[in-house]
Amino acid sequence: MAQTNPIIEKLRARFGNAIQAVDEFRGETTFTLAPKDVVPVAGFLRDDPELHFDHLEDVTSVDRSRYPGLENAPRFAVVYQFISTRSGERIRLKAPVPGDNPVVPTITGLWPGANWPEREIYDLMGIKFEGHPDLRRILLPHNWPNHPLRKEMPRGGEPVPFSMTWEDEEFRSFGTQIIEPKAVQTVPPKQADTNRHMILNMGPQHPSTHGVLRVIVELDGERVVAAYPDIGYLHSGFEKQAESIRYKDFIIYTDRSDYVSSMCTNLGYSLAVEKLMGVEIPPRAQVIRVIMAELQRLASHLLWLGTSVMDAAGVSHALLMYCFREREQILDILELVSGARLTTSYIRPGGLWHDVPPSFVERVQDVLRTFPKRIAEYERMVTDNPVWKRRTMGIGKLTQAQAQAMCCTGPMLRATGLALDYRKLRPYSGYENYDFKVPTATEGDLYARYLCRVEEMKQSLRIIDQALKNLPDGPVWTADRKMALPPRQELDTSMEAVIHHFKLNTEGFTPPKGEIFDCVENPRGQMGFYIVSDGTAHPYRLHMRTPSFVNLQSTDLMARGGFIADLVLVIGSIDIVLGDVDR
Amino acid sequence: MDWINLILIPAIKSVVLVVVLLTGFAYLTWFERKLIGRFQQRIGPNRAWKFGLGHPIADALKMIFKEEIVPSYTDKVLFVLGPALAIAPALLIFAVIPVGPTLNLFGKEIPLVVADVNIGVLWVLAVAGLGTYGIVLGGWASNNKYSLLGALRTSSQMLSYELPMGILLIAVLLVYGTLNLNQIVTPLTPIPWYLRVWILLAFPFYFITMLAETGRKPFDFPETENELVAGFQTEYGSIKFALYYMTEYLHILGASGLAVTLFFGGWRGPFVDQFPILGLFYFAAKVLAMVFLFIWASASVPRPRYDQLLRFCWTFLFPISLVYMAVTAVLVVVM
Repeated sequence: MAQTNPIIEKLRARFGNAIQAVDEFRGETTFTLAPKDVVPVAGFLRDDPELHFDHLEDVTSVDRSRYPGLENAPRFAVVYQFISTRSGERIRLKAPVPGDNPVVPTITGLWPGANWPEREIYDLMGIKFEGHPDLRRILLPHNWPNHPLRKEMPRGGEPVPFSMTWEDEEFRSFGTQIIEPKAVQTVPPKQADTNRHMILNMGPQHPSTHGVLRVIVELDGERVVAAYPDIGYLHSGFEKQAESIRYKDFIIYTDRSDYVSSMCTNLGYSLAVEKLMGVEIPPRAQVIRVIMAELQRLASHLLWLGTSVMDAAGVSHALLMYCFREREQILDILELVSGARLTTSYIRPGGLWHDVPPSFVERVQDVLRTFPKRIAEYERMVTDNPVWKRRTMGIGKLTQAQAQAMCCTGPMLRATGLALDYRKLRPYSGYENYDFKVPTATEGDLYARYLCRVEEMKQSLRIIDQALKNLPDGPVWTADRKMALPPRQELDTSMEAVIHHFKLNTEGFTPPKGEIFDCVENPRGQMGFYIVSDGTAHPYRLHMRTPSFVNLQSTDLMARGGFIADLVLVIGSIDIVLGDVDR
Repeated sequence: MDWINLILIPAIKSVVLVVVLLTGFAYLTWFERKLIGRFQQRIGPNRAWKFGLGHPIADALKMIFKEEIVPSYTDKVLFVLGPALAIAPALLIFAVIPVGPTLNLFGKEIPLVVADVNIGVLWVLAVAGLGTYGIVLGGWASNNKYSLLGALRTSSQMLSYELPMGILLIAVLLVYGTLNLNQIVTPLTPIPWYLRVWILLAFPFYFITMLAETGRKPFDFPETENELVAGFQTEYGSIKFALYYMTEYLHILGASGLAVTLFFGGWRGPFVDQFPILGLFYFAAKVLAMVFLFIWASASVPRPRYDQLLRFCWTFLFPISLVYMAVTAVLVVVM
């Protein structure tokens, strides 16, 4: 079967011996190459008109030193995911790197958006990238002594190397006065021209960075010369945590990464695990999943709309509370089905936690009734407002080529005219059965992003309406015994069922050996999970490709040359969630 | 020459005015929070006493008892001077605004204005201009980049918007033919109705300059919490912050009082001639209506960008106010 794949034929014909191995697992093709061949092959994949793998989805890495059967292979592997925005075809390149001096040529020459993912690999795994423009630690402090995702690093219990003690000069003035500015000397970025420009430190505590984001801004008067985002204040090592817990337990971490759209992230993780296990989900669960994900998308966009208009108008503007009023309705539904408003953990690998309660349909119909009127109200308030238009039109522009090069996804990319939406490109959970449009705009500025998101809210309502009308009856948990518990009555008669029940509850389910990458469309863009399984009940390696992290790196590109007031709106328009950025 | 008329009565009037203004300020914050709450589909403050009427008092007490911090890297003298320089002019504006007709108390004719001077409008403009110093000095002395940006924005914003405001005032004064605010309320020669209507046409523009001059949303560029954290007052805490806060609200009251006097007949209303005390209530009601406009604007209009604000002033407001003044001059002379 592998031989019939035209991509393989083409790559073999072009690069011949450079391709060391081709693997297929669950319909995903992996090419293994030497690190030096990655850049030419990736360039060919991107530029060949037939292949057209123009979107770099993810760059990540695996430490294979404890992977059964690979103990003697090169220790690390850098993994690249590409997708064709035309055909939806996906391909994975894998470059094994030896453990003693791990160096890989950087891919930032082809996709500048690989900058931060490569820095993340360097930070957490210790693989260096040759030719990378700015190879520094990104999530951890600059003086962190180790690379935590390496397998020899303990999972907890390590000494935390904070250099601060109460003897430090910084703390000596405690209780007497505010800290002396000279005690907290900040080092301006190397590229900054400190003689001519003012360096302004925005954040991590600032009203409009939407969380603990720090942006070091180089200012000429009020004009932004450069903006250097500094992240990692919320980093909590989800990927390391995942390696020590069972598959089904990781679901709570997906709630906490993108805490504004937990249902969608739940869904992404569940789909990835289900793909790894190869199980089928009953139709009722699939439809409810779609409803929940779209409700969550509405809630997330409402929060974005409110806060981003607040960025321009101040807290006394009424729209923020209007949006919160509507979001409340959705959060009530989330609470109704899952018991939690923010960290839902409702969609789980294998199905849903429980079926929806009887009043669910009525409550969702309520939403469908009230929302169109309310969205029209917001549009009256904002869309044609001349002040809002002047604040957003032509500001924070990204061209389609720039957005693709920076690996942007979600409304950021769609506002530039490319309709990349995973619900259409690689439909999951039955999205192919719904009639909806992917709203795009062409300007690529803040206003275009605003229009896209507002239109997306209307499309979500359409999807929910269709899903609710065709809500089938049936179970909400998979019947596949690899993941599903045996029914209660079987436990009375069958010893095997009891043993199976016990094993599933204590050990957890065990997927086969292999690796998969699966994506869903989060409100912010592409949410991907890369899971490597070694056949045990714990993930061997789990990587989250989060939209906020990748989208945030274009801040500088968008804010350069604008005013400091625009920078605030630009950050707002990316719609970041810092939990999603830092993980 | 009696000292009662010259010293005692003005002193009593000043004390009453200051007390009323400071309580008025406190309840203005309550009024604003309640209104903003209503605009935002919330209830607003309602914990302390009925309708949350105790909140302003609690706020004041809290502000006074907060620890007073003067950061060590500031210019201490200017840092302390800033709030004082800001609030004094804000109070002084009221000296010339007539809040009611002349009352007959204890056998004395008492006009309800502290200083009935001939240069009333000029006084207002001069004193309001001084208020900028308090903000700029405070922002500069804070030795903080956000404060500095806020202070710089303040100075250019105030300077720019004083121009169209002044020109619009000139036009209005051409019609009244006097700078004395008392005579503007009760003109010696009646002003024809078409000129009164013509004056009202200037009010929307005047209102915009008022928003900018008082630094209120959507033109709150001295503060702009979304960009500059709290602008010029970032480093201020406790009572010094409260003073700046008060200044802002006193400016609203002052600007509203002036606008009411110039455009809407001050304390005049039905039955004032029979019951002069009614004038006070009319004045208060008109000022409240004006304050309502301020708050309404802050709840419904997004903030423009800083350079857009200045461009709006110089390319739109300034020319239009010049044209308005010229037309007014012609109208006054010809008709």
